[in-house]
Amino acid sequence: MNLVKGIFQLGILYVFFLLGNLLQEILYIPLPGSIIGLLLLLAAMFSNILPVHWIQQGAGFLLAILPLLLVPATVGIMNYPSLFSGKGLLIFLIVMTSTAATIIITAKTSHYLENAKLKREEKKMCSKHLSH
Amino acid sequence: MLQTPIALIIIVITVIIYLGMVTLYRKFPIPFLLPVLTSTIFIIAILKSFDLSYDFYMTGGHWLHSLLGPAVVSLAYPLFHQRKTIIKHALPILAGVLTGLISGMFTLFLLAEIMSIPRDILLSMIPKSITTPVAMQVANDIGGNPTLTVAFVMIAGISGAIMAPSLLKWFRIRSSLGTGIALGSSSHAIGTSKAFEYGEFTFSISSVSMTLSAIIGPIFGFLISKLLL
Repeated sequence: MNLVKGIFQLGILYVFFLLGNLLQEILYIPLPGSIIGLLLLLAAMFSNILPVHWIQQGAGFLLAILPLLLVPATVGIMNYPSLFSGKGLLIFLIVMTSTAATIIITAKTSHYLENAKLKREEKKMCSKHLSH
Repeated sequence: MLQTPIALIIIVITVIIYLGMVTLYRKFPIPFLLPVLTSTIFIIAILKSFDLSYDFYMTGGHWLHSLLGPAVVSLAYPLFHQRKTIIKHALPILAGVLTGLISGMFTLFLLAEIMSIPRDILLSMIPKSITTPVAMQVANDIGGNPTLTVAFVMIAGISGAIMAPSLLKWFRIRSSLGTGIALGSSSHAIGTSKAFEYGEFTFSISSVSMTLSAIIGPIFGFLISKLLL
């Protein structure tokens, strides 16, 4: 990726981030500024105000290094050694159990809805065949 | 000023460790070797052995951290790119993401009540299934502790990626759509990287679910925290 172009694209993304923060402060929106920025960017692309190729590579770059950008925050766990002993382990277990429950419930629900839709479509096909 | 060279060294070391861990994970793609996890452990080990504080690390770390906001904004791109897939499967995706958010927060609340977990810890746990940058901001907004939230987000992500294949098998869910939605809405980016192993369709559904959770999740977190307080 061309360096100047890359910095320009990152600059655009940063401006959307700042705009999101600004709107959050002015309008007291109960959403993080970054999410407001995301929605603004989405709106700008859908309405053709912003050509997608203006941010395509910059966005791809940031998403590719996303795990790296998370590291400084995760290193902060070092200030909470209590999470890894005694009652902390209980909290660990709660988060894991809740995650497992979420996986099962979510997968079952969407699986069911998908099947229901497929069955409806099959019925439509069958009735079409019969009417011919 | 000594601060700038030190900050630079911290950034360079972080990047080198991260790249090393990515290489390791490519060779041995097991969930326990996820680069975020291994890099974090590696860096904490270095800091501890030289008796350095987290604040010291952040003199360099905050530069990388400041790119998180624009990175979240960037999620608009895959969402826009996959708009046709999303619209086609709009109902199961939306219903799945909503179920994921509700069941995740409800089970947390239930378990925390049974085990009498302090309220500030519960508030920090609530955004656990949302991608880290958003989860931290949600924790901040609802009165939780953002750093603790990062720990919970990591646990939800890694445990989800490890447990999902067995859980899906036991509950006989073979649908790619269901797998993608479950991984993305329970385990965010880590779950989504796991979804990659199930193929491109599952991967894209998972990243959409993760993004939608990040958009809808803050609203839910806000409502739940209002109910709790």
